[in-house]
Amino acid sequence: MKSTILKLAGAILLALAMTFICQTTDADPTASRGKIAVVISTLNNPWFVVLADTAKQRAQELGYEATIFDSQNDTAVEASHFEDIIAGGYKAILFNPTDANSSVPNVLKAKAAGIPVFCIDREINSTNAAVTQVLSDSYSACVKMGQYFVKTVGQSGTYVELLGIVGDNNTWNRSKGFHSVVDNYPNLKMVAQQSADFDRAKGLEVMSAILQAHPDINAVFCGNDAMAMGAYQALVAAGKEKQVKVFGFDGADDVIKSIAEGKIEATAMQFPKLMARTAAEDADQYINGKRDFPQKLPVQVDLVTQHNVDKFIGYGKK
Amino acid sequence: MKRAVFIAAVLILFGIVCRFFPLFHVVALKRAETEKNAGVFNAAKFADDFWSEKLLKSFDHAVDAKELLAAIQANPADAQKKYARSLSLGGGYFYYLRGEGRVLATNDSSLSLAINTGGTNTEVALQTGMIFGNAVRDGTGLLNASDYPNLQDFNSISAELNKLVEARVLPELRAHARIGSTISFIGCAEVDDESTDLNPLQVVPIQAQIE
Repeated sequence: MKSTILKLAGAILLALAMTFICQTTDADPTASRGKIAVVISTLNNPWFVVLADTAKQRAQELGYEATIFDSQNDTAVEASHFEDIIAGGYKAILFNPTDANSSVPNVLKAKAAGIPVFCIDREINSTNAAVTQVLSDSYSACVKMGQYFVKTVGQSGTYVELLGIVGDNNTWNRSKGFHSVVDNYPNLKMVAQQSADFDRAKGLEVMSAILQAHPDINAVFCGNDAMAMGAYQALVAAGKEKQVKVFGFDGADDVIKSIAEGKIEATAMQFPKLMARTAAEDADQYINGKRDFPQKLPVQVDLVTQHNVDKFIGYGKK
Repeated sequence: MKRAVFIAAVLILFGIVCRFFPLFHVVALKRAETEKNAGVFNAAKFADDFWSEKLLKSFDHAVDAKELLAAIQANPADAQKKYARSLSLGGGYFYYLRGEGRVLATNDSSLSLAINTGGTNTEVALQTGMIFGNAVRDGTGLLNASDYPNLQDFNSISAELNKLVEARVLPELRAHARIGSTISFIGCAEVDDESTDLNPLQVVPIQAQIE
């Protein structure tokens, strides 16, 4: 009899404990608001790691469970992530696309499945796929960069351009903004223009090869900071780091430090944390019923030089 | 004989096949170029049409320079709230203004104009050198980035509008503006952030007339 009472009491206690656990879980805001996916083109670049981590953190602060997916700059991997996300019941996707054109079908597939997509930093060539696209105004930044380039390098000389990923719109917005200024000076001659895929190791490799053919250049304009650091490394190896001025783009931590040390001439400060937070907040507002978003929201990019570098830190302003 | 008939039959058959499935097409170069560019955004044409059909008809929306400059002198932040427009997230913004002033000085890249703002003169710098940036595209508020699938197209409009300013507005100013001349103008100003020096305000003219 005693053991029956004990067993009964134990069962009641267990049931009460289970009820408590379930109630506690139900009250957890993270579980109650659903899942948000953060799909990033590559995590092989510190700038995108900051973008991904900030988006994830902001989504979590807003009460969502957030998961980061690394597309490894491969549209096939990206497509596979989208399949998993659609099957996984996510409420929204914060998306840094791999390719302006090839990423569009993925976004359309998510849209058809009722999952809103919010693009960050990189553009897709569509106005009816994503809910909104929060994009760095790369063109305007590189117009300023071009003007500063002419001011520091001079109106004559030779230079090299390292392009980013050829399929990414940012690559061309940066290049075209830069050339919209620099091409007005016929004595400033570009002796080589090659892609290094926004990658530091490729930047080093491509720059080393270019220096063999063009050892007397005056400057190198790089479409991002990772390539700028790679190019600088190549110049150091060739003993030309004092002869050649290096210009980057992004506002990465190591480049901001290098500008302060006089190694790199200038960069353009994008604001990955601002863009990531804005996209996460847009997603939250969308889930809460808001529908009126601008399709493209450019984010201003600031020029960072040796004259104003004290106002900046890696990935933002002080 | 049989062989000749066979060859003729093969040739005729080949001719019939080629008639319906030609190995190549001969197309006029001009037509080929047109077809190649079909669907490609033509920024130069867009800018030209925009200039004549919208920009020149939007001058009524420009704020009086005297009013704007007085407001900037009183409180730049309040002037920004009241008169500026911004397309982006960040500190940058644009003014669209019209006014009249007397030339105080000239150099290779600008004309310094004195504008009477109620008893005192305030200067603006009318740009006359190479024109860069988005002042003309974004200053009027007539164009919106969200309307363009590809921002490269939107950006190319800026470059083309700047070329039109250089071709249609600046030559007259460069050739005939002298110290003491009175110039009436309509233009746009781009302000980077709160640290930008607004004295003088840098204005890209989209119409200018020397009185």
